[in-house]
Parts: sequence; C-alpha cells; structure tokens
Amino acid sequence: MSCEIQDIVQFVGALPPFNQLPASASEYFTNHLEIIYLSTENQHDWLQSNKPQLYLVRSGHFDLVNGKGELITRLASGDYFGYPSLLTGDAIQNRLSVQSAGIVYVLSQVDFDYLRREYKAFEQYFVRAHANRLLSSHYKQTSDSWTERRIAELMTRTAVTLEPEASIRDAAKAMSEARVSSIMITQSDKLIGVITDRDLRNRVLAAEVSPEESVLSVMTHKPKYIFENNRVFSALHLMLKHNIHHLPVLDEDRKPLGMITSTDLLRQQKSDPVQLIGRLYKAESVVLLKRLAAEIPDLLKSFSNNIDDISLMGKLLSGLSDALTSRLIQLFQEEFGNAPCDFAWICFGSQAREEQTLHSDQDNGLVLPNTITPEQRDYFARMGQYVCDHLHDCGIVHCPGNIMASNPECRGSAAQWQHRFAKWITEPTPGAMLNCKIYFDIRFIDGCRELYSEMMTGLAKISRNDLFYAAMATDINANTVPIGLFNQFKLEKTRTSNRYLDLKKRGVVIINDIARLYALRAGIARSNTLERLEALSKHSLISKKDLFDLKDCWRFLTQLRLRTQINQEGLPGNCINPEDLSSLEKHQLKEAFYLVKQAQQACAFKFARGSL
Amino acid sequence: MLKGCLYLARRWWQRKRLLKQPFLDLPIVVIDLELTGLDAKQNEIVSAAWVKMEAGRIQLASSAHLINAEVNDLAQSPIYHGICADDMQKGVPTKQLASALAEVMHNAIVVFHHSYLDMAFIRVLFHQYQYVGQPVLILDTMQIERKRLLSQGFELGQDSLTLDACRTRYGLPQYTGHHALTDAVATAELLLAQCHKIGQLNELKFQRLV
Repeated sequence: MSCEIQDIVQFVGALPPFNQLPASASEYFTNHLEIIYLSTENQHDWLQSNKPQLYLVRSGHFDLVNGKGELITRLASGDYFGYPSLLTGDAIQNRLSVQSAGIVYVLSQVDFDYLRREYKAFEQYFVRAHANRLLSSHYKQTSDSWTERRIAELMTRTAVTLEPEASIRDAAKAMSEARVSSIMITQSDKLIGVITDRDLRNRVLAAEVSPEESVLSVMTHKPKYIFENNRVFSALHLMLKHNIHHLPVLDEDRKPLGMITSTDLLRQQKSDPVQLIGRLYKAESVVLLKRLAAEIPDLLKSFSNNIDDISLMGKLLSGLSDALTSRLIQLFQEEFGNAPCDFAWICFGSQAREEQTLHSDQDNGLVLPNTITPEQRDYFARMGQYVCDHLHDCGIVHCPGNIMASNPECRGSAAQWQHRFAKWITEPTPGAMLNCKIYFDIRFIDGCRELYSEMMTGLAKISRNDLFYAAMATDINANTVPIGLFNQFKLEKTRTSNRYLDLKKRGVVIINDIARLYALRAGIARSNTLERLEALSKHSLISKKDLFDLKDCWRFLTQLRLRTQINQEGLPGNCINPEDLSSLEKHQLKEAFYLVKQAQQACAFKFARGSL
Repeated sequence: MLKGCLYLARRWWQRKRLLKQPFLDLPIVVIDLELTGLDAKQNEIVSAAWVKMEAGRIQLASSAHLINAEVNDLAQSPIYHGICADDMQKGVPTKQLASALAEVMHNAIVVFHHSYLDMAFIRVLFHQYQYVGQPVLILDTMQIERKRLLSQGFELGQDSLTLDACRTRYGLPQYTGHHALTDAVATAELLLAQCHKIGQLNELKFQRLV
C-alpha cells in the first residue's frame, strides 16, 4: 500500500539518470525510498559495509572523506553517494562528515539492483559515475606543475605556413612579417618541413645559397612535432633530446596549429613569482623596475589559477611591493649619495599585514634617529618623494590619506612617532581609532632594523592601556556583520540598485581588527592576521577553538574576496552578490559571518566589559 | 465503573513505561488529514495519509493515502488541498477510511503537526462508526516546536508554528502544495530534525517529546 509523493517524484525525475528514464523509474525509486535525517548525531551510522545502500542528498551539505581523512567530494542537493560498494561489493572506506544537517533518501541494495536490471541507462550512469570518481581522485594526486599542462594552453600563436613552391626569400619575408623565428612548410595541410632563423643563417647565408632557391632545399625535412594535447613536459623532453628550439604543434588530424619555442617554455618557467622578486632586486634602473612591475597583474592572474591557498596572493604581492621599495631606496642612494644617518623604512596597513591586493595603495613611512639635523631631514624628504612617486608609477598608487614617507608627518624620529601614537591612545576619538587601525599594523622593510625595534619597544609600552583596549573593542563592534534576523543576508545597494555584500568591510576587516586588538593586548609584535592568530594560541586570552574558527573564516572570506576581484562586474571592489554563490558557499558565508559576530561580541565583553 | 477505572490505570501505566523508551527503538506512525474547515463538528475529512517510521527511517513503502469519496460539502477547501470532486471518485467510502485509520492508529505511537485539530476530527469519525483506534501516545511536532521556541525566549508570531515555518527553521526543503501524504512525510522529517536538534539522539527518550 503506497502511493507517490509528487514533490519527491519531481525532484528525483529531474536528476540524472532519471531524467532519461521513463516516469515509472522515478516512481519506483520514490516508492521504495527511506528518508533519513543526517546530522552530526548520526553521521557514523550510515555508509556501513554490512549494508550497502544508495544515498541521494535532498538537502544539507556533507563531506565525503576517504580512509586517510582526505576530502573526496562535497555533497549537496542532488548528489548520490554510497554506490561504489553497491556496484563492486567492496567494503566501504569512505566516511561522512556533516557540514550542515539535512534530508537524505536511501535506497536498499535490492531496489537498486532491480532498477539496474530494468533500466540499462540507470546502470550505465552509476558505473560511469564510479569510474569518474576513481579518475578524479587519481588525477588530484598528480601535482599541477607547469610541465604537466597541455601544450595547447601555452601555445598562443597561429600557424605561420608556406607552400613548398615558395622561395627562401618568401620564407624570410613571411617570418619577418609575422615576427616569428620559424616557419612551417605544408603541403595540403600536412607538415613536410620547418625553416628557422638559424637555418637561414647556417644553410643559406653561410653556405652562399641563392635566396631564389626553393625552400625545399634548405628546410628540415620530416621535422619533430608534438600534438596539442601532449604535456609541456613531453615538448621539453623532445627539445632537449634533439637539441631543437622549435617544435610544430599539430591537432589530432595532424593539421599544423602553431609552433612552440624554447622561449615559450622558458617564459613559463620565468612566470614563477619568486623569480620576479629576484629580478626586481637586481633591476638596474627605475625604467627596468617599472617594466618588471608592469608584469605583476598578469602574473598574478595566471598564478591565481594555479594555487590552492589564495591567501598566498596577499603575501606574494606584499613581497613584490617590498622588493620594489627596497630596490627604489637603493637606486635613490646610488643616484643621490648614501644616507647621512641611519633610517628605517616601514610600511603600514595591508602591506604590513601582507594582504595586499592589486587595488591596494601605499601606506609607508620613515623612522629617523632622534638626533637628526634639518639638513639630514632634507635628504630623507627627497628620498620619500622619490620612492613614493616611483612606486606610484609601478602601479602601487599614492595613498589618498597621505600616509606616505613623502609626507613630513610620516617621516618622524622614533620619539616623534611615539608622541603621535601616545596622543591617539590617550584620546581615543573616532579619528584616532581609524589611525590606530592603520598605523598599528607595522612592518620593517629596509634600512636600520635597530631603529625600528627601538620604536616598537616604546610603542608596546604606551599601548598597554585598558581604556584604549575598551575604545578599540567598542569601535570593532560599531561595524556590523551583514546577517539579519532568521539568518538572512543584509545586502547593501549601489546607486544602480545592484545588491551586494561587502566582504572586506563587513568581514575581513572585522577579523583583522579583532586580531590586532588581541595581539596588542598580548604584546605580539606581528602584523599579519594569520600569524597574529597563530601567536595568540600561546596566550590564554582567547580559546584555541575560537582562534581556529577565526583563521578559517579569514581564509574563506579572503579567498572569496580575491576570487571576485578577478572576475567581478558592476559591483564595488571587494563586493559580491550572494545570489552568484553556490548554495554551499552561501551556507559557508553565513556560518563565517556568524562566527565573526560571536568573536566581535566576545571581544566587547572582554575589553569593553560589554558596555556598548 | 471499576472496569473503566482499571482501563484508565492500565493505560496510564502503559504510557509511563513508554515515555522511558528510547525514541529510536519503537515504530511510529505520522498522520496528516486534509479538512474542509477547522470545526470538527461541522466540517469533514477530505483525505488522510500516513507514513511509518522506524529507527529514524521514514519508510515511503509503508505510506498510504486515502481520499474520502463521501464528502458532502468541499466548499472553498480545494484551494488548500487541491482535491476536487473529480478526485473524490477515486476515493473510498468514509467508513473504509475510518476503519483503515483506526487499524493503523490502534495501540500505536502517532504523530501529527497540530494534533488537537486532527484528533478532534478523528474522534468524531470513530464515534460515528463505533471504531476503536486508541493510540498509546500522541506526539505533536507543533507542540515540540512551541516548547523549544519558548524555552529559547522567542516571541511566537501568528504564523511561526505552521509546518512550513517550522521546516524553514531547520533548513528543510520546501514542499509544494498541501497534499496529505506530502504533509505526513514533511511532518515526519520535521520530527527527525527536531530530535537531532535536541541532541544525544541515541539516548533520546519519548518523554523529551511530550
């Protein structure tokens, strides 16, 4: 005695493989289902080897984890699991880890086998899904080093070809016009030979062959080639083995697509950002420096596709900025003479926290000795101007708030700096609080480290002030997390009525602020948010679990933010429209905001005694 | 008289013993009715559906859905349940519906969302045909939810205890329409979600749910 529940039949019927099967299949499936609610309470009761079953997620999010604890896949509405052991009869090694509880449909082995027998497409679907999963988990193990990328990804140029009737002169002209160093000779779309720059030199000019002769006389016959779907590694191998620098690339029908050169491969290798930092430090002139700096945005874009932990990007950009700054300071000294006394070039804000983005502006300053003379100050005024202006030209724009070493206020002696800080700390006006948020993230870049340490020691002493902590905590709580009643996003609106969430202001910034406050309280002299949180685990100010949660949230929000920075449309920077997120991401985002809110409140209770 | 007292005492004792049993150990029947109105004395049952649940598994193979072929006045109610005069032809006589319901409910643990309303109709129905369908325990997902919300200091609004509103609170999927069977399954899922939320599922006893 049973009958269909329309809603479930419709849900199942829209999913593969049922969308290719007669309605009777989804009805049979529905009528034989059991519905369970899967939460952390019972996550270990399912996926048991002694009772293999087919599971279909209706709601909630679950991680499928293998025996080694590695994530295999994240399951959401419409995903099946548990079928491999139904197909193979092997013991189940995977476990479930519930991210958010939800409804799961369960089908017994008997009913699964019935559907397999009755409907070929049903069986094929699950056999294929099983094969794919094996494949994908295998594929993940192989690293994604650039040598394992496909040739087609590197090869950009279109094929430059000539007929065999052409003369050597024609070949030279065609190469010159297309600005390439080699040309393919083809007959009815089949590759028959190659001529390179070197051939023109060695086989034509040096051998005194007339340029009117046919290309056939000087070309390399039956050249080596590679297919577009081969790996870069194979191209590299071929080139090294045969000592050649040009390799024609063919498609599956052996039609020439283009040429890959040893320079192309070299460029791949060079796009390693660490190498760029090395080259920045060695750049011999400001012009060269600027040319190298112009490569940064492209480099980062290609690099961002290749790394898992996108928070590395901030570190990388800050590393590049540091290198630019240091090199400019050296170039200034080469041009205008060595500094007349010790100095320390420091940076503030995002560069100090090592979370710069492509849109970040400069925040820097100079610490000078207390004994400095007016003439010496002149020298550093010029240095500040020089470095800041050239950094601006290199793509790190001037600071709108004028927090730059070109501003006399940001070129103080250690005593002057301490005086400035002391004023903000003892009179915590909103303006002073804003300054604290920027200036309390400090990092040494170049010059004399002792000068910097001296200033920091003084700073640590004067910042030990409970009233100041309370003011900071109150300030942190003035910024609200965009989660409203009933766990809904509170969206902001642009003038063109795009609705969005500000991930930076409403998320990352709050975590940064919280980390800064705790770090100041614990006397941790670091500026990077993750490092601050890491160092805080040795103090008892905040529990290990809360630290872990904050770090997780920070990574998640940063990742989301940097990703949207690379592909956004019509929204202010750092903002996203939550409708564009997957349901899993939406859920994670809400969870992250919720944790941030909790940390915010904890911070108020700890430092402001809850007096908001 | 004495017989009546003994009967009540036995039932009281039975219930007391039952409340100490773990929730996952005993079978449960989740029932939903579609009605023509809210007054048990004047309005009628349009359809009844139930689904059984064992050890936290809602068994769709055990589900049933019966339409009452003898409704006198559907009035405006098809707007809600979507059952019209045509569908009633596929139905069964009221007496058959009553006997099936009595059979599934007798000595069972039954669950409703808003049991007062549904039980009022069922009592009238059983009385009419002199059937006995006395459950050993009646659970109500609406009351469970009310208790939970009040203990958390929520202000209860007019619509905050509807089946849909409760399900939304647990992030359960939105089901379309008010079909008795869909609602029975929806209520069963809600009960599971509530039990998971209460926690320590394996030790959860029935007394936490009344």
